[in-house]
Amino acid sequence: MAVIPSLWSLKAGDRCEILGYDEALAEKYRIRLMEFGFHPGEHVTCLQSPSFGAPKVYQVSNTVFSLDDEVAAHVSVRLSAVNE
Amino acid sequence: MSKVILIGSPNSGKSLLFNRLTGLSQKVANFPGITVDVGSGKLQAVPEKILVDFPGTYSLQAISAEEEVAVDYFERALEDPEVEQVLCLIDATRLEKSLLFTLQVIRDCERNGKQITVLANMIDVLDNHGLELDVDGLSAALYTRVLPISARSGKGLDAVTELLARRPDPARAGRPHLMDTPDVILRGEAHKLAHRFGPDGDVLIRTQTRLDNFFLHSFTGGVSFFLIMYLLFQSIFTWSAPAMDAVEGSLAWLADALVPLLGNQLVRDFTSDALFSGIGAFLVFVPQIFVLTFVIGLLEDSGYMARAALICHKPLRLFGLTGKSFIPMLSGVACAIPGIYAARAIDSPRKRMLTYMAIPLMPCSARLPVYTLLIAAFIPAETTLGGLFGWQGLAMFAIYFFGMMMGLVITGLVSRTREDHYTDLPFVLELPPYRLPGIKPIVRNAWNRSKHFVTKAGKIIFAVTVLIWVLGYFPNYGADLGESWLGQLGHLVEPVFSPLGLDWRYGVAIFTSFAAREVFVGTLGTIFGIEGADENMVPLVEHIQNSDLALGSGLALLVFFAISLQCVSTLAILAKESESRSLTLKMFVGYFLLAYTAAIAVYRVTEWIMG
Repeated sequence: MAVIPSLWSLKAGDRCEILGYDEALAEKYRIRLMEFGFHPGEHVTCLQSPSFGAPKVYQVSNTVFSLDDEVAAHVSVRLSAVNE
Repeated sequence: MSKVILIGSPNSGKSLLFNRLTGLSQKVANFPGITVDVGSGKLQAVPEKILVDFPGTYSLQAISAEEEVAVDYFERALEDPEVEQVLCLIDATRLEKSLLFTLQVIRDCERNGKQITVLANMIDVLDNHGLELDVDGLSAALYTRVLPISARSGKGLDAVTELLARRPDPARAGRPHLMDTPDVILRGEAHKLAHRFGPDGDVLIRTQTRLDNFFLHSFTGGVSFFLIMYLLFQSIFTWSAPAMDAVEGSLAWLADALVPLLGNQLVRDFTSDALFSGIGAFLVFVPQIFVLTFVIGLLEDSGYMARAALICHKPLRLFGLTGKSFIPMLSGVACAIPGIYAARAIDSPRKRMLTYMAIPLMPCSARLPVYTLLIAAFIPAETTLGGLFGWQGLAMFAIYFFGMMMGLVITGLVSRTREDHYTDLPFVLELPPYRLPGIKPIVRNAWNRSKHFVTKAGKIIFAVTVLIWVLGYFPNYGADLGESWLGQLGHLVEPVFSPLGLDWRYGVAIFTSFAAREVFVGTLGTIFGIEGADENMVPLVEHIQNSDLALGSGLALLVFFAISLQCVSTLAILAKESESRSLTLKMFVGYFLLAYTAAIAVYRVTEWIMG
């Protein structure tokens, strides 16, 4: 079975479409992520993927957020083609 | 008096607009979640109306107890007949982030029949980059007046003032269209509106990304982080030192000039020892608080603070903390008080509580005289490895490191073992754009923070200082500290400190050091009859070395001072900032017991090793 990539698996420069959230992510966190614009169907670009497991930096719409793996690893995504 | 509510999502420039419209000085910074309290002030242009500034929140659907308080407060305010209208501030450069919240506010205003105006802030940033917000289109889609403004440059504020001067016109109120719309629909609506009417933010993001490539890079990011933190540290220790010396010197000069003019000996002693020493004990911290708040303000307003939080997040998470805990803890190395103030910026109540627990264990500057005295008295002034390392320097490093590690270990243990009512929030941090800091509001904020310290903590610190003075002065009018009530208390608590090999004199010195740790040195000097021990420690060091005090007792005292929360100023500010006397009391008692137990263990082990 193919493993669905998560937001956390993105490298700097990767672009993806959000598919959904896994059950392990608390409801209130999902709501907050959606309020920030991380909702299914939205395109997200990973701007920075710092070393040593530091939180990654993502652009959603025209805002930039930093998410750590506790959150980003629970957001499933589909990688977009470079020019998509 | 009519009220106007000002509300907006975090980092939308709300505090700056509030200051512009009222002439007051709320804290302003380029860091999400700066407005913590509800502030209010008379509108400068319309003095008969009050502007009420609400804490910034991303949504009216609260996910933490703290957000719930803010949201409840806002919803109750909408029911207040004195509330005339609502100003909802949005960040025009990042429209989608602000629009869901705006739609929720419009819906609640419709439900309560309040007039709302949307203020699209940072329009100057769009102008500078040749970008455009479709103000008319957005206004038509929201059925609400939208005014483009810049809180920073003042552009468009005349229209706001004109609007506020008029009585609200019910005919101009927006057409109710969201009254029964649930949040899930509003979310989709916000997304559509942002894409339809908002600017293309890529230009702004590209500039931000170029700087992030440097500041978040594995090498350049690490080097710049250490350089910036070094400057912060220098500001606390070095830059504020001349002002601290000036405050101390001025008070001493004033005391020398005033005290001889007083006739009565009791009044003279009180004025000199309680009044001037009491005021001096906390006024000396004011320059440090001012300088630190100013430098932190620069970092916040420039946008760097959010990047620093990101860099520190991973290692601090191991100990139950967040990257946002780093600056407060670093500040705590100079003084716990500005550190506790700086912890306001931590949005997660649980992580903020854990940060409060760690800060008093950071090796603050008040511990330095105590460490210097004890290390000079007990650790040989010899060097090793051809003079490369001195034992005293190593001991100083070890005790500093011990304090920091204790802070992290305690928060790590508490975060893993204790369930409490404090809500935790995930690490989702908005990274604001970089910008040149505005100096005036930062200076004003540093001034306000210093004033807050003097007015709020000063009373408690002064009261405790006077109490200790009374205990030490009576019943023999300061003739002999050993025979005073404080001395008697020392004899009474001697059994408590005897397991550390300490007699009543050290008990008294520890007791007085609860006013401020450095008082320990001066009190010991007084008890041993050595004048000016806090200025020149050598005679006191020699006196302790020539006494029979064991090495184990000296090391036990070092460990005790590293852990115990002996600082009435810190306790006073902690109680105010955490709004929890219970947490403050638990920390005071808990750290004392831990310090005491650890000190006994160190004493016993050392004595066992030394035979």
